[in-house]
Amino acid sequence: MSRKRFAWTALVLIMVLGHIFFQHLAAVYGQEKEEEEKPDRLVVMAVEYPGVVVPQEEDVSMDIIFYNKGKSDETVNVEVASVPKGWEARVKTYRFTITGVHVPSGEDKTVTFEAEPDENVKPGRYEFRIAAQTPDRKFKMAETVAVTVKEKEEGKKESKGVKLTTSYPVLRGPSDAQFEFSVEVDSKLNEDAVFDLFAQGPEGWDLNFKPSFEDKFISSLRIQANQSKTVAVQVKPSMLAQEGEYPVNIRVSSGDAKAEAELTVALTGTYDLEAGTPTGLLSLDARQGKPANMSFYVKNTGSAPNNDIRFMSFKPENWKLEFNPETIPVLEPGDLKQVEVMITPYEEALVGDYSVGVDIQGEKASKNLEFRISVRASTAWGYIGIFIIVVVIAGLLGLFRWLGRR
Amino acid sequence: MRGIKTIFKKELADHFSSYRFLILFALIAMVSLITSYMVGLDIKENLEEVAKPRLVFLMVFTSRGAFLSLVEFVAFFGPLIGLILGFDTINRERNEGTLSKLLSQPIYRDSVINGKFLAGAATITIMMVSIVLVITGLGLNLVGVVPGLEEIWRIVIYLIISIVYISFWLGVAILFSILLRSIATSALAGFAVWIFFSFLLPYGADTVARAVTSDVGQRGPETIIRQTRIQKAITLISPMELYTDATATVIDPLRKTTRSIILMGPMERISQARFAGPLPLGQSILVVFPYIISLIAITAICFAISYTVFMRQEIRSL
Repeated sequence: MSRKRFAWTALVLIMVLGHIFFQHLAAVYGQEKEEEEKPDRLVVMAVEYPGVVVPQEEDVSMDIIFYNKGKSDETVNVEVASVPKGWEARVKTYRFTITGVHVPSGEDKTVTFEAEPDENVKPGRYEFRIAAQTPDRKFKMAETVAVTVKEKEEGKKESKGVKLTTSYPVLRGPSDAQFEFSVEVDSKLNEDAVFDLFAQGPEGWDLNFKPSFEDKFISSLRIQANQSKTVAVQVKPSMLAQEGEYPVNIRVSSGDAKAEAELTVALTGTYDLEAGTPTGLLSLDARQGKPANMSFYVKNTGSAPNNDIRFMSFKPENWKLEFNPETIPVLEPGDLKQVEVMITPYEEALVGDYSVGVDIQGEKASKNLEFRISVRASTAWGYIGIFIIVVVIAGLLGLFRWLGRR
Repeated sequence: MRGIKTIFKKELADHFSSYRFLILFALIAMVSLITSYMVGLDIKENLEEVAKPRLVFLMVFTSRGAFLSLVEFVAFFGPLIGLILGFDTINRERNEGTLSKLLSQPIYRDSVINGKFLAGAATITIMMVSIVLVITGLGLNLVGVVPGLEEIWRIVIYLIISIVYISFWLGVAILFSILLRSIATSALAGFAVWIFFSFLLPYGADTVARAVTSDVGQRGPETIIRQTRIQKAITLISPMELYTDATATVIDPLRKTTRSIILMGPMERISQARFAGPLPLGQSILVVFPYIISLIAITAICFAISYTVFMRQEIRSL
């Protein structure tokens, strides 16, 4: 029984192994056959994008690929055969302008074609011819690159190499606030670069660059090739800034690569009120049930007008507070208005000191004043009392005179 | 004037040498010493949690020790001093027959009554001043706080009011001793008046106030206020009430009214608590000025009545 099973296993194993062997053999043979089909010499040139559309004054750059499909290594001379007027074109590698390239057998090589228009190049179709040939002129190749220059779109001023984008180009706020713009610096350079950061705003303003989420000021930024980084632009308006819109220009540059962006700060002005009494005295004497007058001033120390200023009082029950005027419709910045307040303590108020609060509520700012009202006892009783005493003493003396000396 | 002086000197000498005065003075000195000692200990304990106490010294007079504060003690038992000093001023002389002898001397009749009243008042003054001085000294020792100028002034004014108050009772006693021939009757009459004003009138006033205000349903704050007002108006007849109210704000600068119940809203309370502090002396006096005036006036009037009655009385017939 066990012998029979062993025989089966062996048979299966042999079949599998044999199969694998033959397959491998077939693959090796096939490859050899392919190589045999290669011609002795074959060089092909290809342009990456035979037709491109670019905006005016924009450079054109693309790859030219040489394939060597022959058995031997080849050297190819390459040149830009025809250049339209107003353009400068060359073939280069990452470092040099070249006139020839060596392509080893079975490999391919990439060079760069670059075309730069001068300022006078008008929109239209321009054709470049790129010619290549082996030194023995056995292979001659030519390719045409058609560049269509399009009218430049207004306002689309994108410089090469670096791009600035911001999600919120306009910020609003009072002039004593601090504004922070978030700007993304997108590097299109093929290598790491250090970008210098500049900002220009109205005079007296404080402009600083900050890394996002870090509390330090920076003036340059290192960005890796084709990466982007976010910086914060911190804007602190001048203390004297009036309300209005103020542009803040920021510029990022590294060598030729530069980009600009305009940010706008819209100041709404500050709202601040000041209040007090002309003498600085916040205490007042009053009598029970008798009105006492006091005047205080309200001053707008902000940079925006404050509308509809009202007065609220915090006072004991049964007391009366009257303001004249009751409201101030408009208070311009720097303006000062005087308000009369008439305080009438309750008739049965206790003698002593009371606190009376006046809340000056503007539309966007408020100020609190606290007065100390000393309720005084009426002196009327004092005079009446003295009169009574005098009468009593006079009566007593009269009695002495009338009845005395008996 | 010479007559008054002679009588005054003689009366003063009589007062100070009498056993009655000695016993009275010993009693008062003892009570005040014990009271002030208790109060001193009490203040010491009370002040332990207070960060910055103000006007501590006056607390010696106002805070209660074991039973009564000094102010309350004087209000209750001060009348007794006046009554005891004066209940037999005239009728003893009359009963012993010395009055006609006295008047046969070159002494005017008004000198007799003036001199007697002044001598009584002087005795009261000496007594009160010495009590207050003793307590002040003890207070200095126990509390260890030196009174400020304002506190001293308050104590002085308190003293003056107290002397006037006790002198009123002296005047009442003299009036009874003129009106009533019997010494025992005049003493009893004086005590009756004292008991009436001290104990009966407050309860009577309370009863009357309750009876007058309709007590139907719930007793709201207005009803209570009305009741206390009526009660107050009735008790103000009592010189004791006048005296208690007058001294309350003088000796306690934190008291701002003589009313016992005040209706106060929450805002008013906050507003007042903001600058909670003692009243200046002038304000304290002004608050209770009517009370002080009334006290002085009734004292003067009481004496004037005694004077008139005495001057017009038939003396030599007896």
